[in-house]
Amino acid sequence: MAVAQVETLPNGLTLAVEERPWNPGVAMQLLVPVGAVNDPEGMEGAASLLEGWLWKGAGSRDARALADAFDDLGVRRGSSSALEHTTFAAQFLADKLPAVLSLYADVLMRPHLRAEALEAVRQIALQELASLEDQPPKKMFTALRRTVFASPHGRNPSGQKAHLESLSAEALQADFARRYAPRGAILALVGGVRFESVREAVWSALGEWKGEGAGYPAVELRPAQAIHLEQDSAQVQIGLIYPDISFDHPEFYSARLAAQVLSGGSSSRLFTEVREKRGLVYSVYAAPNGVKGYSYLTAYAGTTPERADETLEVLQAEIARLSEGVTEEELERTKVGLRAALVMQDESSRSRAASIARDLYLLGRVRTLEEIEAQIAAVDGPRINRYLAANPYRNPWVATLGPRKLVGAE
Amino acid sequence: MTQTKSAVEFKQATLGNGLTVIAEVNPEARSVALGYFCKTGSRDESPEVAGVSHFLEHMLFKGSATRDALGVNLEFDQMGAQYNAYTSEENTVYYGAVLPEFAPRLLELWTDLMRPALRQEDFDTEKQVILEEIALYEDRPNVMLFDWGRAQYFAGHPLGHSVLGTTRSITALTRAQMADYLARRYVPGNLVLTLAGRVDWERTLEQVAQLTAGWPKGEAPRAYPEVKARVGELREPYPKATQTYLAVLAPGVSAQDPRRYAASILANILGEEGNSRLHWALTDRGLVESVGAGVDEADRAGLFYIYAQTHPVNEEAVKGVIREELGRLEREGVRPEELERAKNKLATALVFAGETPMQRLMSMGLGYIYNQTYEPLSEIARKVEAVTTADVNALLEEKPFSRAFYYSLVPA
Repeated sequence: MAVAQVETLPNGLTLAVEERPWNPGVAMQLLVPVGAVNDPEGMEGAASLLEGWLWKGAGSRDARALADAFDDLGVRRGSSSALEHTTFAAQFLADKLPAVLSLYADVLMRPHLRAEALEAVRQIALQELASLEDQPPKKMFTALRRTVFASPHGRNPSGQKAHLESLSAEALQADFARRYAPRGAILALVGGVRFESVREAVWSALGEWKGEGAGYPAVELRPAQAIHLEQDSAQVQIGLIYPDISFDHPEFYSARLAAQVLSGGSSSRLFTEVREKRGLVYSVYAAPNGVKGYSYLTAYAGTTPERADETLEVLQAEIARLSEGVTEEELERTKVGLRAALVMQDESSRSRAASIARDLYLLGRVRTLEEIEAQIAAVDGPRINRYLAANPYRNPWVATLGPRKLVGAE
Repeated sequence: MTQTKSAVEFKQATLGNGLTVIAEVNPEARSVALGYFCKTGSRDESPEVAGVSHFLEHMLFKGSATRDALGVNLEFDQMGAQYNAYTSEENTVYYGAVLPEFAPRLLELWTDLMRPALRQEDFDTEKQVILEEIALYEDRPNVMLFDWGRAQYFAGHPLGHSVLGTTRSITALTRAQMADYLARRYVPGNLVLTLAGRVDWERTLEQVAQLTAGWPKGEAPRAYPEVKARVGELREPYPKATQTYLAVLAPGVSAQDPRRYAASILANILGEEGNSRLHWALTDRGLVESVGAGVDEADRAGLFYIYAQTHPVNEEAVKGVIREELGRLEREGVRPEELERAKNKLATALVFAGETPMQRLMSMGLGYIYNQTYEPLSEIARKVEAVTTADVNALLEEKPFSRAFYYSLVPA
């Protein structure tokens, strides 16, 4: 089992490499600390616009030449901006690494950001924002997060209409200069490459990249409350967010295992009680979630209006019941499931690169499979039940979307 | 773990009852993926049982004569299985991956579930779940677009049948109708057991022969009426849409057609995200939220499709641009450098496609269902590499896009 080698370069960029010499390919995951949470006030959606604008030409190439250059190297790539990061993911053959890095260096350090190219980017961003109306679950969760956070963590990563419409090219160029920086950026590579040669190639391509970046705002919460969005939808969307313990808490794995008991497989409590026994939903789940500095448990169910009250009631009751503890049998199969999931995730270099980058962001180090397995094994019945009794899931923020308000959502 | 040529080995056997078993054995893998591929789907349904294939797929998880639903769920989770199933117009696929020590147990479980009990009480409860699934998609115009668009395009041909069925057809469906469908379609000659990864082949064969010894032989026929696809345009207002959703469907190549590699490359040149004809004509100009193109290679039929999502004010402009681009493509063909770029990206994709047994399972199982042959990744890579501009342009000379059907869902 390979171990990721990690080094923070002099300009602040964190580099992580997991060598898989048998693999002719390389999976890359680059997180740049530019997201909706650090969009400047009045510029919500700036990170999203910048991400689109970057591809309109960089270095010596216009937009087409840039895309062609990536394709000539056989690079499969994707990029997107979200709440906390702009992510650049790519897969390519290992011998193309220096050439690929030099293209990304153009995109990150030398994009043209020409005013005349901005309008098309703005139109796409506005359409993306508008299409939220046609995606009820996403619309509900967007409203729910706004109810949870008083800080910018409650923002919609797609931005605000008025801001998207009014942002000027000059303001965005200045924002780019300030926020696109190596400090806080994380580059993870997994595949048939050697750490030493990667470091050399990265330094040669990105050594001149400078800047301190914008950092992140502190998390601020609002009091728990319930909101309802009126929409004539076929299904009612129900979302809950419960406070949870953080990623670096000593009982993190107790909480993670408890979430699995609740919703980790088809024998989990939510699936069994809400779908299998009662047939109330097609989709129901709870999942650990969060932003840096605040972790929470998200729960979801979608159901037709006449069954929505019962669904919400069963959902909340099952989550509350966790405080009474889990059985040895539930704990045992949950451990087997988590371990299997870890091993299988690790088989894919793409998912490994993504989890390395996420670990570095949230924990500042990369967990090995062995470490996670040992932590999971160390959670026994008495320990998890002690934890759950002392830390019950309660006081959720609640959002519903549908033709009418639910009784139990007060 | 990526395949090395020497390590991977293909195995194949047909049991006495007619069940075919295939495996791609990779001793370097750390997991085993295995599942049953049943050659049945909504195209094999009569109108009165619309949606039965998909509903039946759900019912398999409700248990057999010796297992109940909660017991089935428990067993999958006790193995730590990553598993699921899906139903399409043509196939119903049950798949799972486990660590190697659990492979025999997973095989036993899937095999038992191929003979479900279909208990009335479970049937009634699960019917509610299916109706919820239908309601779920009703709220998503981007999904309904293809369901309804295909029905119009195939104009009565079974490939236009909805996988989910309708609230009406599902409500009316009886347990007896499902049991009849099961008996006709889930016969050994219509199933392929597929395995990939760290497979113990000899042991697998022995085990499955024993488990299925009582399965009666049988074949399930499929009808292949001629496709008389609709041409032209249809706009339908949909109250749940605030944006405009457009699907362009045009005759393509089948899953058996040797030209399918060229067809995939053509779709890539036309609509790949980030660098393609439609990307530059639409996305780069901000005319769409998204646009893409692809192929649907079906059993002795196939299609090219284009998908676009846009603000309603752009609808006519977007359709105009697509018509113009498709016309140009048919007139002028593709350029050598476009072909090379598409091939480069596909070559990289094929390197990553070998990483996990689950990925291999899917590609291998479907490949076998359609062609009764096995293609290692290296062979697919060779065929992609061999495609020439003449191959792609030969597809365009048949003028598929001049016979396209434009279907849109627009705000009511």
